Amino acid sequence: MMGILFRILRRDVVRNRVINLVIFALVAMSAFMLASGAGLIVQLKTSIDAMFERSMVPHLVQMHAGDIDMERVVTWAAGNALVDQYQIVEMISVDGSHLTLGDWPSSEDNGVMDISFVVQNEHFDFLLDHDNRPMRPAPGEIGVPLYYREARGLSVGDRVKVDTGASLHEFHIAGFVRDAMMNPSIIHSKRFLVHPLDYTKLRTHHLDTEYLIEFRLSDTSRTAELAAAYTDAGLPDRGPSVDHRIFRVFNALTDGMVAAVVVVLSLLLMLIAVLCLRFTIVSTIEEDYREIGVMKAIGMGRRDIRRFYLIKYIALGGVASLGGFLLSLVTMPALTGSISAFLGAAQPPLMLQLIPPAAAALVSAMVVGSAVLILRPVHRISAVAALRSGAVEGRLRRFGVLPLRIGRRVGVNVVLGMRDVTQRPRLYALIVGIFAVCAAIILVPFHFHSTMKDPSLIAYMGISRSDMRIDLRQTDLVGTRFEEMLSTVAADPEVARFSPQVTARFTMIHENGTQESMAVETGEFTRFPLEFFSGGAPRDENEIALSVLRARDLNRGLGDSLVVLVNGEPRKMTVSGIYQDVTNGGRTAKAPLPVDEETVLWYSLIVDVQPGVNVAHKTAEYSRLFHPARITDLEGYIEETLGQTISQLGRVALGAIGIGLMVAILITALFLKMLIIKDTGRIAIMKSLGFSLSDIRLQYQSTALVLLATGVVAGTVLSNTVGERAVGLLWSFMGAAQIRFVVQPLHAYLLLPLMLASAVALTTLHSVSRIRNTSIATTIVE
Amino acid sequence: MNTMNTTTMIQTTNTVLEAKQLSKNYVLGKNNELPVLKSVDLSIQRGEFVAVMGASGSGKSTLLYNICGMDRMTSGRVLFNGVELSRLPEPALARIRLTNMGFIFQQIHLLKHLSIFDNIVLSGYLCGNRTRREVEGRAAELMEQTGITEIAGNDITQASGGQLQRVGICRALINKPDIIFGDEPTGALNSKASSEIMDLLGGVHREGTTVMLVTHDIKVASRTERVLFMMDGRIVAEKRLGAWPLSENGNDRGGSSADEKAREAELAQWLIGLDF
Repeated sequence: MMGILFRILRRDVVRNRVINLVIFALVAMSAFMLASGAGLIVQLKTSIDAMFERSMVPHLVQMHAGDIDMERVVTWAAGNALVDQYQIVEMISVDGSHLTLGDWPSSEDNGVMDISFVVQNEHFDFLLDHDNRPMRPAPGEIGVPLYYREARGLSVGDRVKVDTGASLHEFHIAGFVRDAMMNPSIIHSKRFLVHPLDYTKLRTHHLDTEYLIEFRLSDTSRTAELAAAYTDAGLPDRGPSVDHRIFRVFNALTDGMVAAVVVVLSLLLMLIAVLCLRFTIVSTIEEDYREIGVMKAIGMGRRDIRRFYLIKYIALGGVASLGGFLLSLVTMPALTGSISAFLGAAQPPLMLQLIPPAAAALVSAMVVGSAVLILRPVHRISAVAALRSGAVEGRLRRFGVLPLRIGRRVGVNVVLGMRDVTQRPRLYALIVGIFAVCAAIILVPFHFHSTMKDPSLIAYMGISRSDMRIDLRQTDLVGTRFEEMLSTVAADPEVARFSPQVTARFTMIHENGTQESMAVETGEFTRFPLEFFSGGAPRDENEIALSVLRARDLNRGLGDSLVVLVNGEPRKMTVSGIYQDVTNGGRTAKAPLPVDEETVLWYSLIVDVQPGVNVAHKTAEYSRLFHPARITDLEGYIEETLGQTISQLGRVALGAIGIGLMVAILITALFLKMLIIKDTGRIAIMKSLGFSLSDIRLQYQSTALVLLATGVVAGTVLSNTVGERAVGLLWSFMGAAQIRFVVQPLHAYLLLPLMLASAVALTTLHSVSRIRNTSIATTIVE
Repeated sequence: MNTMNTTTMIQTTNTVLEAKQLSKNYVLGKNNELPVLKSVDLSIQRGEFVAVMGASGSGKSTLLYNICGMDRMTSGRVLFNGVELSRLPEPALARIRLTNMGFIFQQIHLLKHLSIFDNIVLSGYLCGNRTRREVEGRAAELMEQTGITEIAGNDITQASGGQLQRVGICRALINKPDIIFGDEPTGALNSKASSEIMDLLGGVHREGTTVMLVTHDIKVASRTERVLFMMDGRIVAEKRLGAWPLSENGNDRGGSSADEKAREAELAQWLIGLDF
């Protein structure tokens, strides 16, 4: 029996090699991409785990700028049962304008990064070298954050200069450090590692220091509890507090997003493969209708009959998935290159190593499963009906019929072509579906890429959309400085509008009377838009907006209320909105509340310049004027923090356009070839009625264009709804939920669909030109 | 051929197939049924060679499909080897068709992805009653008897209509069935091929297999022993023709042309005489 099945398989493969090859390629590509995506995710998780373990990442970090009473912190931490290990890390803040990296022509003046110099920690939070060991530079050497290796094209041995004007320090790069906490480009703080002797020298010239008060817990799930206890104890907290989960999210962000898009693409390809499968199997059943009837008549069981048809798809799915998986093994090193560089290479545990082959196996299981489902009608074929009629019965379902008389205006051939679509909807639904998925393959990554590139993206990350943002951290007389800054900006004719936002610590009172300290950004929130996950900005003094993580911690939803102490008086506030925030540890709140200067954590000013004003120039100007405030040109910010991710996504999007077009061309050619063969009789009849070859070709072209237009419209809608949801869902796994695509209408609605349309139209022209000069006589003879 | 089955049958009953009050209506719509078979009674003895004749639409093919369990009757009973078919579920019916019945159709409908030999052995493999070697041996024997050994490895597109119908006969006989049903088995063949096929079927019958054919061809019907005539869903007449005259060496072609003509004329005369 196996011999017969094998012979059936061999003959079928030879006879229908084109369609088999197409399905094979689609399944293989889908398996390749799913296995690659899964492999990327596995490698990402493994590498992050390994890095976190080797670096002994702190579970909770409280940043603090300004004076610090270390004794108090030490006493408190030593007495807290939740704390397993603790340390206070001092960092020297170095102004970007004082730092020159390698041969880079300019200083880091315009960089968006906060630069600090540190020494290697003693107990935990190690900065790692290439081999994931704590790096220990010799005197005169420096460990540079990996981010700069890519961004500034540095290599080992290059020089790093710290020049304040008053003093000059020079270092040689000993290596690049992996910093579990600050590695990702999206985190705008970077730590440079130097020898303790060099650190002491630097310390004498740079008085600006910041502190990281770090804790490791024996029970890592209780970080929120420890953070609350810390603030309640009134310990130094002028700065955000961040927990290890956020480090994980940020480390996974870049490659995670690429993996997510690859996974979405692979699923779309699988969908096309299944659609093609459906088409092939349905036409095979129609073609073999009578044979199946005979098989039933002579007593073959349903399972036997199904086995004949299934064998091919089991073989095809298995071999194609295996091929795709093997290909993914070959390309994996290239894909995981950045993971290895940034997070370190690590061998995943066996269980995780099984995931990529399991993903490929899933693709083949989906293929076989779909084939089983599609083959179900075989059960319903009646032997008697098949023997009597020999044709599939009751299949013709039509949606209204276009009257031929409207052809007077547009031409009878065009109407006949369009009419065909309404007359054979089942046949054409498939190709419309494929065009729609192709459009989605092209558009979803493209939309995602445009969204990542768009300045409004930051509005999804907790930062109001504007041209420029000025941040002023704790320094002497910071309040006065901020006032001066405000009056300067207000008087600047090149500024269109601005909004001051002051983050201060407020006390929140829980229902049970306990208090909790909470950083709240105050100011006016309607002028510069922020994208809200739900609800909107607070509009009056009794409203407050919470970040997703904060809302989750407090267990509050939209419309819920909470009590905050304002000027010593409890005030009941309603949650007006919930927003995503990737800044300041992700646990923030926004409310228009009056501020006591004593409690201020930091000041910010959001600025939009007048049209035509060069933002980069303005940023440089303010940097000089408001030193040491950090001025961020937001477009530059995105470029610096997400630039690499964006360019990686750009490559994926470009690849997706290629894949989408290729699949559309391939399937169109194949479909028309089958259609023309199927319609041989019909074409011959039309010829005998006097239709010319060009008339008939025009009919098929009209049909193809109607199908394409429907498919592209459906695909565009699909991308903007389901595609957006799918990407949003994957995005939410990385910590920031719900994203709305930024659509570039010219590309999304015109250029890309036009590209797809042209590809399909050209393919149609080519395929249709192969309609032969068939006459009714030859058809009858055939 | 069929020794064991024949022995078994003789021990039980001599009737291989029996239909009692068999009716079949086609449902055309709600409250709209078309009666195609009307209380048909029929009995076929083991070893018989029967033809069912009748005009188009008289119900002869429907009768065949219903007595072999391919179609579900509306009312009545069909007993095959004493087993009531109307009570059996579809898989059991399929099993009986595979194991105990053989079918020859007007259009043979062989599996196009299989060679001629594979088309013949397939039902044998699926039946599972015999080893692979036995099935293949049986196929080789049948192909030799029907004269198609040379084309065993060919594709089905590389054979003539007559050759394909021989393949159909081999396929029908591979599991040594108790009965062979033929629905217009020569309908698509020219007269020479048709006559050769009937010679083969005569041989099959002579070796002990029961054969029941549906046909509208007098030449074909005249080769059988008993002819039933159907009209409007009923069997309205029956004629016994007796055994086909054989040559001295037992060859079908032994009967003289005059004998054949006489038999055909007798049948034609009878049909004309049926005054309906």
